[in-house]
Amino acid sequence: MSIPVLVTKLYVPPPRPSVVRRPRLLQRLNKGLLAGRKLSLISAPAGFGKTTLVSSWIDDFRWARDEGQSEAARRATIVHRVAWLSLDEGDNDPVRFLTYLVAALQTRAPSIGAAALTALDSPQPPPPEAILTALLNEITPLPDQIVLVLDDYHVLDSKPIDRALTFLLDHLPPQLHLVITTREDPSFPLARYRARDQMTELRAADLRFTPAEAAEFLHQVMGLHLSAADISALEDRTEGWIAGLQLAALSMQGREDIQGFIRAFAGDHRYIVDYLVEEVLRRQPEPIRRFLLQTAILDRLSGPLCDAVLGTMNDKQGTMSEPSQREAASFIIHRSSFEILEHLERANLFLIPLDNQRQWYRYHHLFADVLQAHLRAEQPALVPMLHRCASAWYEQHGLAADAIRHALAAQDFEHAADLIERAVPDMRRSRQEATLLAWLQALPDALVRARPVLNIHYVGTLLQTGQLDGVEARLRDAERWLDTAADRGERTDSPAAESLPGWLAIYRAGYALMQGDITATITYARRALALIAEEDHLGRGAATALLGLAYWTSGDLEAAHQTFAAGMASVQKGGYVADAIGGLIALADIRMTQGRLREAMRTYERGLRLAAEQGEPVLRGTADMYVGISELYREHNELGVAAQHLLKSPALGEHRGFPQHPYRWRVAMARLQQTQGDLDGALSLLDEAERLYVSDFFPNVRPIPALKTRVWVAQGRLGEALDWARERGLSAHDDLSYLREFEHITLARLLLARYQRDRANDFLGGARRLLARLLQAAEAGGRTGSAIEILVLQALACQLQGDIPAALVALERALTLAEPEGYIRLFVDHGPPMAALLERAVKQGITLTYSRQLLSAFGQAEDRAPVYQALIEPLSERELDVLRLLGTDLSGPDMADELTVSLNTLRTHTKNIYAKLGVNNRRAAVHRATELKLL
Amino acid sequence: MSVTDEAAEEHHEPDWYEMRLKGHLDARWADWFDGLSLTHADDGTTILCGPVLDQTALYGLLRKVRDLGLPLVSVIQVHPQQADVLDDKS
Repeated sequence: MSIPVLVTKLYVPPPRPSVVRRPRLLQRLNKGLLAGRKLSLISAPAGFGKTTLVSSWIDDFRWARDEGQSEAARRATIVHRVAWLSLDEGDNDPVRFLTYLVAALQTRAPSIGAAALTALDSPQPPPPEAILTALLNEITPLPDQIVLVLDDYHVLDSKPIDRALTFLLDHLPPQLHLVITTREDPSFPLARYRARDQMTELRAADLRFTPAEAAEFLHQVMGLHLSAADISALEDRTEGWIAGLQLAALSMQGREDIQGFIRAFAGDHRYIVDYLVEEVLRRQPEPIRRFLLQTAILDRLSGPLCDAVLGTMNDKQGTMSEPSQREAASFIIHRSSFEILEHLERANLFLIPLDNQRQWYRYHHLFADVLQAHLRAEQPALVPMLHRCASAWYEQHGLAADAIRHALAAQDFEHAADLIERAVPDMRRSRQEATLLAWLQALPDALVRARPVLNIHYVGTLLQTGQLDGVEARLRDAERWLDTAADRGERTDSPAAESLPGWLAIYRAGYALMQGDITATITYARRALALIAEEDHLGRGAATALLGLAYWTSGDLEAAHQTFAAGMASVQKGGYVADAIGGLIALADIRMTQGRLREAMRTYERGLRLAAEQGEPVLRGTADMYVGISELYREHNELGVAAQHLLKSPALGEHRGFPQHPYRWRVAMARLQQTQGDLDGALSLLDEAERLYVSDFFPNVRPIPALKTRVWVAQGRLGEALDWARERGLSAHDDLSYLREFEHITLARLLLARYQRDRANDFLGGARRLLARLLQAAEAGGRTGSAIEILVLQALACQLQGDIPAALVALERALTLAEPEGYIRLFVDHGPPMAALLERAVKQGITLTYSRQLLSAFGQAEDRAPVYQALIEPLSERELDVLRLLGTDLSGPDMADELTVSLNTLRTHTKNIYAKLGVNNRRAAVHRATELKLL
Repeated sequence: MSVTDEAAEEHHEPDWYEMRLKGHLDARWADWFDGLSLTHADDGTTILCGPVLDQTALYGLLRKVRDLGLPLVSVIQVHPQQADVLDDKS
């Protein structure tokens, strides 16, 4: 279910028939466009004519295109197509914002954006950067340039959107130019754009009317004949502020004593708008005045909507008049609302058309604010009633979001709650959780708590946005309601109420798992499964998966794999593919612990295929698959391939991964570096990983501090390693559990290292006893991967003690288990002592081929340690293509041909590549890229 | 509302702010600016003054000032007593 797109938001406002020509400003905008700047920023307070300027600029292109102008102007304008997006507060939801952004671009390039819209429509849309990357790749081959206007950017207050647009600007192809009008500077790196001459900037000082422009405006647009002295007095008083001049002109039209008016106005200290709006309103006939005040609460105005709002108001008693009566009344004045709107537009009364058909309009925002202030001061009681009427009209016309907005503004919370409850499924499916949460938070809490369905949706939204505060209390409210519903004889037969017990149990299970309560997780997940209908794939999938995760956490891996896989199949069946791909990370991880490396590899490959089938943009989770695959290659001692896979992720962009990706990537890279002998590098990566750690529903089975401890042990920094063991409260006599298995094996390694240093038998004995118990537990849990590692340590322990036959017995068991799966580093990482043991094994003919293979792997790794240095800003896929060609002998034009792009586009790519690599010529770029293993 | 919520509210004393804007703003805007007191100074500025719940509320007020195109002269935090004195003066 996608977000419905309101076409009025994409309407390019035509310039007013008579408008002051502002060649000095248009020239600056044109110059910037010609110079290939990325951005035109028009930043000034309300009422400075920002939108008017842009719409007349745009009209200039069209005119130039149709009529022909000077050669230079034609070149500048001929290829420009204009896409327009008028922003409103609802666009703070990134999903909605991007949907509209794509829709705006599609008005000029219908062929693009289909994949982006599909991705936005998916249950777990990829982050904005991924969507934008895909979109930009589609824009790059376009023949014409698109000018994208974002009008009223100041209504947005969203870091993700600021970030997304900064990303867009940083990667902007020459085919796209961005125009932003705003009342406050956006949080982009504006200083950088200025320094690099990438932005044309028009600010209040530029936009103010000069005396000549003021004269032209008053004379030609407003039809006033004023003396130079009068104009100068008005100009002084308004300081060239266009809205002020327009209001002044409206107040003067048809007035006898204009000079008297100007004298009084100029000598007054009041806020210009207060002074003038009062003048303007006073001069309107009563019906118009009432219309202006009462419709000021509307963001958009149409004849029928205004009728609905005004009609009921004028229906004196009629709070509850019959709908048929209301409709009849509305019919009578139907014409007049249309007429009034047309009149207002003609009279320059700050009414802006939103389409060609004269159906929808809006007031200039500043004017609307002032009218509302008047309304609130004069008739405060009327305001909620007007909102109520607007809400009812929108509800009748199926526009839920507007209906909810007005219901909330009317403080008609009961009704708003009804509307929100009905809108929830669509909002969830279209992933507008930010909007949903904002609505829910606007309702009085007591009301939400008294409505179990809404309350449980609230819990779901909170859990999904990672906010756990208050979840427990809400769950209890919903449970209490369910317990007593029957007693109260309340209906529980609506579809929403019917699925309530099931979802309540699911959220209970998820919440319990996040708190580490396995028993409760299992209980609730089972309860959920008993309650949820067969055809609710998402619900059944979620409950089953939670059950699987509970088994995993408790160490029952086979049950975990089977159950979790079934859950994911259900989730996928429900159409939630990205979630299913994310689940494969868990399945592969389980297989690795079970010592089934080949199956783990197949699982990751399945994930890649599944993602590829979804087409562009690359689905979330692809980068995570590469990280997993690289871990497997590392174990198989194919370190180069492992590094390549890891480097694919940053090239793909970290945003292609799940939130856990940044830390998982660093852990994998750290292990690779450790394998290659760069222990300090590994430690600093693990430090980074620790800072970036994000928990999720998966059990944390290989904690980062334990990984660091293993590096310390390898470095002989036993003091730090012991501190870790103390801090974690670990001892060789602990009860064992799967969740602590990795820590306990790490402890055994630490004890062996201490024995090596101090030769104190306590340590060796402690390690051996611990290992024996660990082995038993791992075997009982079917954790063959763990068992092999434990057996290897047992062999080394026996070797330390001088008991070679016992060492070989343990080693043989490890080798036999490990051979079919191709383990290498698990043995080879132990260095010379293991090499010595393997020599003995070969002599005794133990797993001969495999043992020889392992022996030949010693001492190879160090030779090919690659220089790893991640770029701050990774290269895009397209830039990597260009980079590969830079490494050839092809000339610029040949490369452009090869990539089927223009030479200009190629230059832009090359420039970006140089900037990212920190070089300034082709040869240096190739050299640097080779160092970074990008080529 | 639970007992703890109420307790938390009692503890929190909102800070007082004084905002000076260019031009004399009509009294009807007091409601628009969440009931802040509105005083005209002799220098042609308007002083909005009163308790502001928190920083978010403060930014909300600044946003309203921005949307009216009102030139902002200053914003300072004041003690309620100081604010009273100012009110008396003008």
